[in-house]
Amino acid sequence: MAALVVGLRLRQLGRTLTRSPWAIVTLVLTGIGALSVLGMLGAGIATLRIGVPGLAPDALVLLAAALVLGWAVGSTLVAGEDGLAPELFALLPVRPARLLPAVLLAGALGIGGVATLLALGLGLVGWSVDGGALVAAALTTPLVLVTCVLAGRAVAGVLGRQLARRSTRDLLLVLATLLIIGSGLLLQAAVAALSALGSPAEAIGAAAEVAAWTPLGAAWGVAHAVAEGRPLVAVAQLAIALATAAVLWWAWARSFSARLTAPVVASGGGAVRTGTLIDRLLPATPVGAIAARGIRYRLRDPRHIVNVVGCALLPLIVLGAGLAGGGGASAALAFAPLLAILVVTTMVQLDTAYDKDAVALHVLTGVRGTHDRAGRLLAIGAVAVPLLLVACVVCALVAGRPELLPGTIGATLGVSMVVAGIGTAISPWLPGQAPGPESSPFGRGSSGGGQALLGLLVMGAGGAVLGGPVIAAAVGALWLPWLGWLGLAAGLVLGGLAVWGGVVVGGRQVDRRWPELLAAVSRED
Amino acid sequence: MSDTVLALRGLTKRFGPKAAVDGLSLDVPAGSMLGLLGPNGAGKTTTLSMATGLLRPDAGSAWVLGADVWADPAAAKARMGVLPDGVRMFDRLSGSELLRYTGLLRGMPEPLVRERAGELLEALGLAGAGSTLVVDYSAGMRKKIGLACALIHAPRLLVLDEPFEAVDPVSGETIRQILRGFVGSGGTVVLSSHVMELVESLCDRVAVIAEGRLLADGALDEVRAGSSLQERFLALVGTHALGEGSLSWLRSS
Repeated sequence: MAALVVGLRLRQLGRTLTRSPWAIVTLVLTGIGALSVLGMLGAGIATLRIGVPGLAPDALVLLAAALVLGWAVGSTLVAGEDGLAPELFALLPVRPARLLPAVLLAGALGIGGVATLLALGLGLVGWSVDGGALVAAALTTPLVLVTCVLAGRAVAGVLGRQLARRSTRDLLLVLATLLIIGSGLLLQAAVAALSALGSPAEAIGAAAEVAAWTPLGAAWGVAHAVAEGRPLVAVAQLAIALATAAVLWWAWARSFSARLTAPVVASGGGAVRTGTLIDRLLPATPVGAIAARGIRYRLRDPRHIVNVVGCALLPLIVLGAGLAGGGGASAALAFAPLLAILVVTTMVQLDTAYDKDAVALHVLTGVRGTHDRAGRLLAIGAVAVPLLLVACVVCALVAGRPELLPGTIGATLGVSMVVAGIGTAISPWLPGQAPGPESSPFGRGSSGGGQALLGLLVMGAGGAVLGGPVIAAAVGALWLPWLGWLGLAAGLVLGGLAVWGGVVVGGRQVDRRWPELLAAVSRED
Repeated sequence: MSDTVLALRGLTKRFGPKAAVDGLSLDVPAGSMLGLLGPNGAGKTTTLSMATGLLRPDAGSAWVLGADVWADPAAAKARMGVLPDGVRMFDRLSGSELLRYTGLLRGMPEPLVRERAGELLEALGLAGAGSTLVVDYSAGMRKKIGLACALIHAPRLLVLDEPFEAVDPVSGETIRQILRGFVGSGGTVVLSSHVMELVESLCDRVAVIAEGRLLADGALDEVRAGSSLQERFLALVGTHALGEGSLSWLRSS
């Protein structure tokens, strides 16, 4: 049974890679990303091992606890696209007892499982500060890995029914986005809190001491206790770790068995408020209708909500980080809104891709390409421009440099419009790929794939070349305030021209390439 | 035929080495209801996609009331209403929002859209679900809202891919009435189906395709030539007779 399910899992992974050449590009990029994170982790552990060997066990307990927590939280985000969901086995005459070990093993096989195993392997380098601890850590490493996978499965299993409700999933995704965007700030706050407690080493030691007694960190807590020469503590923490795995197994097995006979079915959210305000504000034309639909989607579809939240929060988070970082308000903070341009770039680029094959309606009704592109940009503008303006005003005021405002508004809006125009012009060729409407934005393909990356590079380069002078004018306003007003005027004119040009160029190509565009964004891989 | 509404000429589409549709030509006269029949994978959906502008043919052309779908798509698309099969809808809109959206995309004036949307929802039994997101609709409700979207601009030609699939008998009868009335007033319908009885009772013309080629085309009575449509269809596409000993283990005693 195990060999069969593991074989299924490997085939699933293989299939996702061999569907298209872009999938391989995406895989290589993901691999590079994962390797660089592992590389940084390895470097950190090595530094710790050589520099402050006394601190290594404490840090490693926290690492293990973080990994378990990561699996538990991460599983809720990708619960919708589990290739090993119990429901898929519901029709087979196989008892859960035979199925469970197989599914667990198969679940560990994947990018997450391999990366976790590598991270734990790197951790062993750190444990080498103490012979006994190294042996204990090596022996408990499988236990940590099993706890990770079980934690993910158990949390997703127990919360299965809640996660199947669309409103819950949408809410979770937005919360997770907030968490990811804000993680830098949270980390900074945590470090600040730690340093306020006294020396960081003591704080890490205290945190590890607590974590080693919790289910999250108990498995490597054993090695921690061995390193400190406390055998009784080691035995107690081993008991906690084994009990944790047992309880997780029990909870997961229970939910798994239950779902074999009572499948969890994704359910909806009932009626929506169908306000007519948006419709009344926009003209009753194809452009107006497409814009109204775009605005509605930005409030209803979590994949779009994630982008809107990112656009609103990114500048504020940089602002918060800058303030928390000490040194008081500096003029540089006034330029924080420029970062939101990154989100605008993604919004524009993937807009058609997010529709997937639903965009067939536009093809069937014969919407003109220019109307389609203009309506999409109007929707993004209606949502993003107010957010960017608020960000500019807040950042300039907090930085204490209101005289920079014309320049930062000009640069933020101007460069946004320039990249939006370029993105619209190239969108018929490089529409990118997006996760489906009902799948997790953090799941496969959420980065838009290699094709989207190429588009991003084009937009970034074009934005830098065309928008460079506008940004330069905004920065120049630090010394010559009138340059800011010049930048504002130049940004709006340049941006307006770019948007117009993008709509015309992109629109004409869309008219010619509708079927190809439809095929490109419909692809599921 | 002078009053041909839909004319397909040598449509060809290859996916890799396999020709999904191979030089298919077909004329659909005005005022007819044509049932497009064919086994799974015969190329029905591919043909309809090429006829409606969703999929570019490798060769051949499609004409709707004299407008070339691939040379003058705007004119051709304005004259037909399409219900595609297995294609997502903008399902984070409510039913009434989706109808309004479709009408406006077609360039219709808003009061007319509002009036027709209300009538269509009422007629198809979706009035109570007008403010429910389409993503929460059942399969049959999705078919019905898709049909409403295809009808809202009062097209001259309706191209419907599996319009009765998953639709309950009551709504099915409503759809039949709508289609009969539409054809009675001079409209033309092309629909694909797997249900022979449905095609026999509803359509006055039949076209049978298999492996991307047109095997038969004509008035219902011409095609079935005295036997039932089921028998005729099987004779055309060839049955797959079971051997004497095959699946013998399935016989329980």
